[in-house]
Amino acid sequence: MSLLRSENLHVRIGGIRVVENLDLAVGPGEFWGLLGPNGIGKTTLLKCLAGLDEPAAGQVLLGDQPIDTLPRKLLARHLGMLQQHTVYVFDSSVIQTALTGRHPHLGYWEREGPHDVEKAQGALAAVDLEGFAGRSVTGLSGGEARRLAFATLLVQEPDLMLLDEPTNHLDLRHQLRIMRMIRAHAGDANRSALCALHDVNLAARYCSHVLMLFGDGQWCAGPCGDMLNENSLERLYDCPVERLESATGPRFHPLGG
Amino acid sequence: MLFGMLALLSAASVVLAAAVGSVNLGWETWWQALTDPGSEYGELVWRLRLPRAAAAWTVGALLSLSGCLMQVLLRNPLADPYILGVSGGASFAALLGMTTGLSATALPGLAWAGALASIVLVFSLSRGEGPWSGTRLLLTGVVTASGWAALISLLLTLGPDGSLRGMLFWLVGDLSYTRLPGWAVALLVLVFAVCMGMARSLNVLAMGETTARLLGEPTRKVLWGVYLLASVLTAAAVSIAGNIGFVGLIVPHLMRLVVGSDHRVLFPAAALFGGLFLVLSDTLARTVLAPRQLPVGVVTALLGVPLFLLLLNRARVRQ
Repeated sequence: MSLLRSENLHVRIGGIRVVENLDLAVGPGEFWGLLGPNGIGKTTLLKCLAGLDEPAAGQVLLGDQPIDTLPRKLLARHLGMLQQHTVYVFDSSVIQTALTGRHPHLGYWEREGPHDVEKAQGALAAVDLEGFAGRSVTGLSGGEARRLAFATLLVQEPDLMLLDEPTNHLDLRHQLRIMRMIRAHAGDANRSALCALHDVNLAARYCSHVLMLFGDGQWCAGPCGDMLNENSLERLYDCPVERLESATGPRFHPLGG
Repeated sequence: MLFGMLALLSAASVVLAAAVGSVNLGWETWWQALTDPGSEYGELVWRLRLPRAAAAWTVGALLSLSGCLMQVLLRNPLADPYILGVSGGASFAALLGMTTGLSATALPGLAWAGALASIVLVFSLSRGEGPWSGTRLLLTGVVTASGWAALISLLLTLGPDGSLRGMLFWLVGDLSYTRLPGWAVALLVLVFAVCMGMARSLNVLAMGETTARLLGEPTRKVLWGVYLLASVLTAAAVSIAGNIGFVGLIVPHLMRLVVGSDHRVLFPAAALFGGLFLVLSDTLARTVLAPRQLPVGVVTALLGVPLFLLLLNRARVRQ
């Protein structure tokens, strides 16, 4: 059974049709890439899949439950999302922020236990923020803040991760590291991930499936190997693309300019 | 540890408030008065100074808690309890009472009614359908507050000269004739308990509405709850002591710098320090120009403005 499904989903934003009749099924062990040009509605679609926005028609199901019938707290134990931007208005420490990932798992009066702290420390180490625990979040660089937001998502331990451009602000090494971690997460038998990306080659290298948004509500979805080729990418980005073979699989290189 | 210290200092401040004033008691007479309410100064200490200090402490704690809540509600560390017009409604009603010559005992009730009217007005105007909008609430509240301010100016212009001084004291905030009502203490304890139960949710809300929803908070419900809690705390404080300024802004801000932004620590720290701060301010208000008494709002503002600018400057240097 798929973790996340959409049935006959129509999503619009300000008169723009993002998708029409989207029937998506994100199965366990799958890592989906969401590709499309700027302003096509990737974030809007992700928000809709996370139950933050209402679709124009159709429905989103988590397991076999319509997402809008689930209480947010229960939902947050199974579905987590990395937003495109994280702005910290109030000062807090890095470890306190990472610990907020435990929020949906704790009761009303319950405090974080040593077990929760261990998880937060583990996640910080995983994103290379060891030794940052006591630092203030308002003093972090863009890339560090991005990695902290991802660490918080790891601490939340959702079965399904939705990620909005997780590699923004990251250097090459951390881009690969985060993509590897998402793939490892989705590689688990009961887990999956869906990730909006601008880098086609990261999708080609790490994702198992892609969903492409062409505008005007048109989309296509399927396994990476079938979907990613010169023709589909040229149509997607309105830019000619050349395919190169590398040791880690096919790579796509924009032509012209 | 910090809480113990703050509680101890709070108690000490109340005791100090009982000792100094227009009549300065020596330690011996003071001790005598404290232990024997029937002695010469017993009445002064037990009937006047201690109730006033207790009222100051409670109002300080109410305003500080309200300030903490408002800052999360509007997601702005510079928000204060009066920003959404609660105090404006209370003041207008109280001043209207003074203009029409109602007795002073009727004023707190009137202020309550005015505050509640303002809360309901802002709530129903900004609620609307759809997702939570902090901006809509802020704009509705700020505009409502300006409306009240205009009406208050009108009353000050048209009101009889004899009541002007009383009106001014109310607008600045004054504890001279204050008796601490039991319901205010009960409200403080009750709301504090609710705040502590919600503290972790507020930590998450401080990170933004969308983040909070993704971490499992039904934000629309919770934020309206926070609005109502903060408003009721403000209404209680204003109906007891008028518009005492700066406590609800400075104390949460200062405590955030000292203990951080975890509301499980911030709420008790802010409540204790807010109480302490207002007792000391009121003691100063009674003693600086004794036997003349200043409205305590003047002292909190005079202490608050430089303190606030200092903090702001320090924060900028740190960044």
